[in-house]
Amino acid sequence: MTKPLIQVNNVSFEYSLNNNRSIQVLNEVSFDIFPGEYVAIIGHNGSGKSTLSKHLNGILKPSSGDIFVSDHNTKEQKLQREIRKKVGMVFQHPDNQIIATIVEDDVAFGLENIEVPASEMKERIDFALEAVGMSDFRKRPPHHLSGGQKQRVAIAGILAMKPDCLVLDEATSMLDTYGRRDILDVIRKLNNEGMTIVSVTHHMSEVAEASKVIVIEKGQVVMVGTPREIFQHYELLHRLQLDVPVANQLARLVHEYDHEFQADLIHNDEIVQEVMRLSAKRGVYVG
Amino acid sequence: MASFEFELTRNITIGQYLPTGSLIHRLDPRIKLLAFTILVIAMAICHTYVGNFIALAFACYLFYISRIPISYGLSGVKPAIPFILVLAVLQLLFYSEIASGGTVFVDYGFILITSDSIRLVIVSALRFIEIIFLSSVLTLSTSTTQITHGIESLLDPLKHVKFPVHEFALIITIAIRFVPTFAMEMEKMMKAQASRGAEFGTGAWWRIIQRTKDVFPIIIPLFNVAMARAEDLVLAMEARCYTPGSERSIYAKYKAKSTDYAALLFCILFAVLLLAFPFPY
Repeated sequence: MTKPLIQVNNVSFEYSLNNNRSIQVLNEVSFDIFPGEYVAIIGHNGSGKSTLSKHLNGILKPSSGDIFVSDHNTKEQKLQREIRKKVGMVFQHPDNQIIATIVEDDVAFGLENIEVPASEMKERIDFALEAVGMSDFRKRPPHHLSGGQKQRVAIAGILAMKPDCLVLDEATSMLDTYGRRDILDVIRKLNNEGMTIVSVTHHMSEVAEASKVIVIEKGQVVMVGTPREIFQHYELLHRLQLDVPVANQLARLVHEYDHEFQADLIHNDEIVQEVMRLSAKRGVYVG
Repeated sequence: MASFEFELTRNITIGQYLPTGSLIHRLDPRIKLLAFTILVIAMAICHTYVGNFIALAFACYLFYISRIPISYGLSGVKPAIPFILVLAVLQLLFYSEIASGGTVFVDYGFILITSDSIRLVIVSALRFIEIIFLSSVLTLSTSTTQITHGIESLLDPLKHVKFPVHEFALIITIAIRFVPTFAMEMEKMMKAQASRGAEFGTGAWWRIIQRTKDVFPIIIPLFNVAMARAEDLVLAMEARCYTPGSERSIYAKYKAKSTDYAALLFCILFAVLLLAFPFPY
């Protein structure tokens, strides 16, 4: 079995308000993330999912327990740079993570920080902008870009640093449908090329894309499984104020009327397949 | 009321780069900044009519070779006119002790107008215009990114005396980067406040206190937002391995060409001419 890229071992985290009061945000969380996985972390507002994601590159450090990124403990200050080179993070607000006045310079920012020689930078910037489809915008100022484009630049800024894992902390929540679509396409492509993805989200259609889902509630891991397994627990998810993808809702409804129609479908194209399958079987022609 | 009342983003003049690809545009930004500084110093010291008219003509000529319409320069002068006028009146009335030489024209009570004080007034007005023209050419022909890169690399030697050159350049960059963002933010807030009945800019201009109070409901939330953004930005920078004070490599490297040196030399010669040549008036 391959070694996990990120190991989360019994991690608890609390914010201290003042001397004698603190808020427990994470409580004994454990899971592993393996190279090449696409992990979705879901949970409703205040469940601690965002706090958890900020632990993965050592921005926050566990109050107890340990996190290892390729055997580097995030608590060790000396290893911080190594860890952040391996685990890149894109945040929620597209406007608040672009530092420079033109796209190209912003992508260069991370490279400058990790002292990539200037001769190598151009090539890496070209590669990163190409990967997110923003090559034509390299000389543009960020305020002339749409939200989705800004978020793609933010991803490029991380990609140029050649990380092993990309963490998206609700990176699509501020975007419109088109922007979100673009980001998801980019993520899909990166994952296909071998990049490990951790996506913190509450958009269930994004969760359906993942290979593993971790459900968080009150700072604890409630469920871990494939999206199809997770969405079976419709009632539990509902109690946790979480939804299932529209495709799955539809499949369930149809299943109630027609038990031959499978209830565990989660992708739109699966619905289409199922309708085709059943109509062929029953000799009904669907155009 | 103007229909563009809330359109703040369209009025931002900082970094109004106008790419025409002229000779001036293609100059090394470091050379441009150096030449700009030298010329401004020379213009600020030169105190003859002829010298200043030559300098003004030179500034106009710069517009011509950078293929930027001179109207851009004039629109920069327009908002400065009240200042120039107030300054002129003050200088005319109160600088007579310093500039008391030459022919006396008026000597009435404390008012003493001489040919020297008139010269002072006209020359300072000319200087004002020259310097506005010059800085317009600089900012219109150089992108803000180039300017900050230029400043960073010009200040580079100061690293030896522990001056945080990179941090300084980064502060400028971030400040410039967020100007349009905050302008848009402010626009949103003004619209939100106006839709709840707040009025902006409707009081008469002399009611300064009232006009100032009008701004508070915008400024305070804007500060709030700025703080929240700053916090986010710190996280994003840290996530990309930024550690203040540590070694970094630099992406933008400029290499001065012979045309750059020629341009710099020309500006130095021009400055020397302005300062040293005994102009008759």
